[in-house]
Amino acid sequence: MSAAPRPDTSPRIEPFRLRGANFNLLVLRLLDPRPEAVVPAIGDQFRRAPGFLRFAPVVLGLGDLDMPPGQVDFAGLIEGLRGLEIVPIGTTGGTPEMRNAAMAFGLPPIRSVGGKESEEAPPIAAPAPAAAPEPAAPPPPAPGMARPTMIVDQPVRAGQRVWAQGGDLIVTGTVNAGAEVIADGNIHVYGALRGRAIAGGGDRADARIFAQNFDPELISIAGYYAVREGLGGAPIGKAVQVRLTGERMRFDPIG
Amino acid sequence: MAQVVVVTSGKGGVGKTTSSAAFATGLAQRGKKTVVIDFDVGLRNLDLIMGVERRVVFDIVNVISGEARLNQALIRDKRVETLSILPASQTRDKDALTKEGVQGIIEELSKDFDYILCDSPAGIEKGALLALYFADQAIVVTNPEVSSVRDSDRILGVLQSRSKRAEEKREPVKEHLLVTRFDPVRVERGEMLKLEDIREILSIPLLGVIPESESVLKASNTGTPVIMDGESTAGQAYADAVSRFLGEEKPHRFIEAEKKGIFKRLFGGRAA
Repeated sequence: MSAAPRPDTSPRIEPFRLRGANFNLLVLRLLDPRPEAVVPAIGDQFRRAPGFLRFAPVVLGLGDLDMPPGQVDFAGLIEGLRGLEIVPIGTTGGTPEMRNAAMAFGLPPIRSVGGKESEEAPPIAAPAPAAAPEPAAPPPPAPGMARPTMIVDQPVRAGQRVWAQGGDLIVTGTVNAGAEVIADGNIHVYGALRGRAIAGGGDRADARIFAQNFDPELISIAGYYAVREGLGGAPIGKAVQVRLTGERMRFDPIG
Repeated sequence: MAQVVVVTSGKGGVGKTTSSAAFATGLAQRGKKTVVIDFDVGLRNLDLIMGVERRVVFDIVNVISGEARLNQALIRDKRVETLSILPASQTRDKDALTKEGVQGIIEELSKDFDYILCDSPAGIEKGALLALYFADQAIVVTNPEVSSVRDSDRILGVLQSRSKRAEEKREPVKEHLLVTRFDPVRVERGEMLKLEDIREILSIPLLGVIPESESVLKASNTGTPVIMDGESTAGQAYADAVSRFLGEEKPHRFIEAEKKGIFKRLFGGRAA
């Protein structure tokens, strides 16, 4: 789901390791097979949050497509999604023929862990999926809703990097000098923030950074950043929240 | 089962080898069967500080490459019966160490010893990673100085992610902070980090504070672990730290600046 604290790229003793892992992925359920209908609709949906899905891996949900696989323009869909910086990595649901067709375009079927796939799959109950373009219907799994918060209970140490992908990050201890905490949402540090804090990863200008003892090396919100030298006016050592007003960072005491 | 204890710091020159020698000797003096391994292949020093440099025949690399048996490479200390030293190689580099080789040595030593101390090289490269990989406990040596504290912070992160215990998701490596070269007078003058600041940043239990002392250099040069110098403040502080390591309660000493009397002020004088 998210990157655990890990040291950076020191040479490893072994060349590789194979391990199972579970990932939280977004499923893009296709209700319409035509790229010219799907791609602009996604573009509209995320115009307000540009870059929200930037380079996000998505799984294409094929369960709602009720047509021969030959009518689905996988090549066009992949190209269109990539144009929006969304990376399709596989498929879920759909008929075996449909899955095979997608495989030919480098999209392998991905099995979901809880077998939810089969719950979503039965299109039998679905009252004839009208197949009409229905451009008004938003892509179903509005990804803005699911924003898990990552909580870190240990100090984040020099050389460690914690990334709360797609959500907020709470550090109950300190973020030491030389450490880096990154969140797509807000960052809360209940100890001292002495390292780098990067919030609003996906261009979320409304993200904030909160620190009980504000003493950072660098802070950044939605791509705007300030290094320590540029924090002259900020209340160093105090409880502070940082937010973006326009293109300026604001530092307000809290508590 | 032996306890594997790594003495590490990230930064060089903070007193890892001095502390390894003192700790190993201290544990052995309390009757614990102790072996101390020098992982600093290519820059071996532990044998000098332990005063056994003239008795080195084989080393850890010889054992790993099968050129010698472990028993041939172990040097038994002449002062403390329960203490042995496994020296590093001076002529090879750290690539000669392999994880399997080190594992074999530690498994074999585990049969005969209570404590296996691993004297880590500086850095976070192969030698240091192998020294900490099998650790059950870690003594993190830090000087009251910002770069040393930051490197210790880094090595704590490595311990929590790259040790065998971390990889196997077992109970984490037990961490101890050992602050060395501590000079209360310079701390008071603001030239060194305060003890509270170091503890706050690293947030691991404090095992001991070793005061800056001339006797450490003298001990190194004569090949006598400083813990054997019961007169010196550093030797006493190491003895206290060993006691705490073994679970005894001991108040921390030598952390406040000594109030100098009028004569000392007039005539100078330094702590032994």
